[in-house]
Amino acid sequence: MRKLPYILPLLLVLLLAGCDKPESDLPINTRLGGEFTLTDQNGQPFTQSDLKGQVSILFFGYTHCPDICPAVLARVAQVYRSLEEAGLADQVQPVFITFDPERDTAKHLKEYLPWFKAGMVGLTGSLQDIRQVAEKYGVVFIKGKEEENYLFTHSDYIYLLDDQARVRKLYPADFNIEEVAGDAESLL
Amino acid sequence: MQKVFSKVAMIGVAMVLAAPVQAELVLSQAWLRAVPPVSPTMAGYVTVTNTGPDAVAVTGAHTAIAGHVMLHDMSMQEDGTRRMRHLGKVEIPAGASVSFAPGGMHLMLMHLSRVPAAGESVQVCLEQADGEPVCGDFPVSGSAPSEP
Repeated sequence: MRKLPYILPLLLVLLLAGCDKPESDLPINTRLGGEFTLTDQNGQPFTQSDLKGQVSILFFGYTHCPDICPAVLARVAQVYRSLEEAGLADQVQPVFITFDPERDTAKHLKEYLPWFKAGMVGLTGSLQDIRQVAEKYGVVFIKGKEEENYLFTHSDYIYLLDDQARVRKLYPADFNIEEVAGDAESLL
Repeated sequence: MQKVFSKVAMIGVAMVLAAPVQAELVLSQAWLRAVPPVSPTMAGYVTVTNTGPDAVAVTGAHTAIAGHVMLHDMSMQEDGTRRMRHLGKVEIPAGASVSFAPGGMHLMLMHLSRVPAAGESVQVCLEQADGEPVCGDFPVSGSAPSEP
């Protein structure tokens, strides 16, 4: 009984040690996401496992898209820079997946994406592989019928993934930059 | 002499009244979205105000830096996807304004001879079904210009 005064502070220290990283309130979305293998902008294979160990901001699009896609890319870059200012950018990975592999080759993505200054990974691959990963994320894309300068009808959600590559939140294309940055930080 | 003068004056007034009033388009809030130098396309945005007494149809656009410019509309479908479609013309009623803005109607610049950098300004002309093209300077920017 005399030992109690010594044990209580020890328990308190142990409890506080377990509280230094509060769990995020964001629920785990078990319906979206999953294994995939695509090719990154350096021509190297990129799988779902490569997303693990960091928080990812993942989105789909194509570089010939004049309106929504560059706007989303610019907004994701703003999220990245916000996290960069907070010293957290090395724990966050923006990932752009094209659904236009015909024109968005690895070489083109490597030339296109660095302009946004957000350390973006660009993923391309066979149309079949891209279609599979799009289905896993509930993304719809339909190629236009024009032979030249074709466009896509497409969904444009942005996905926040935790360090286990699990989807934790979806945002519309005109997402709030502070909200996404705050949510990403809550997962770190 | 006085009779001749009043006849001439009346004819003059009649001619002025009979002359078709030129519809006038005024461009504001114009800008081009800044994109990477290897970008194959650019989007242009502008508010077009018709200050004339008649409706005007904008039928296209041109600029020196693009081989082709199309009028596009982006609309949200029931399934949540966004669909882009080509517009043959955009009607602007008398006294009304129509906005080409992100996520909606926009100018799609294609076959770019060069990609202007943020901070540059590019002249873009809107073509009318009847009348001369109306041109304006479109600054290249990462975001829309702030309201005046």
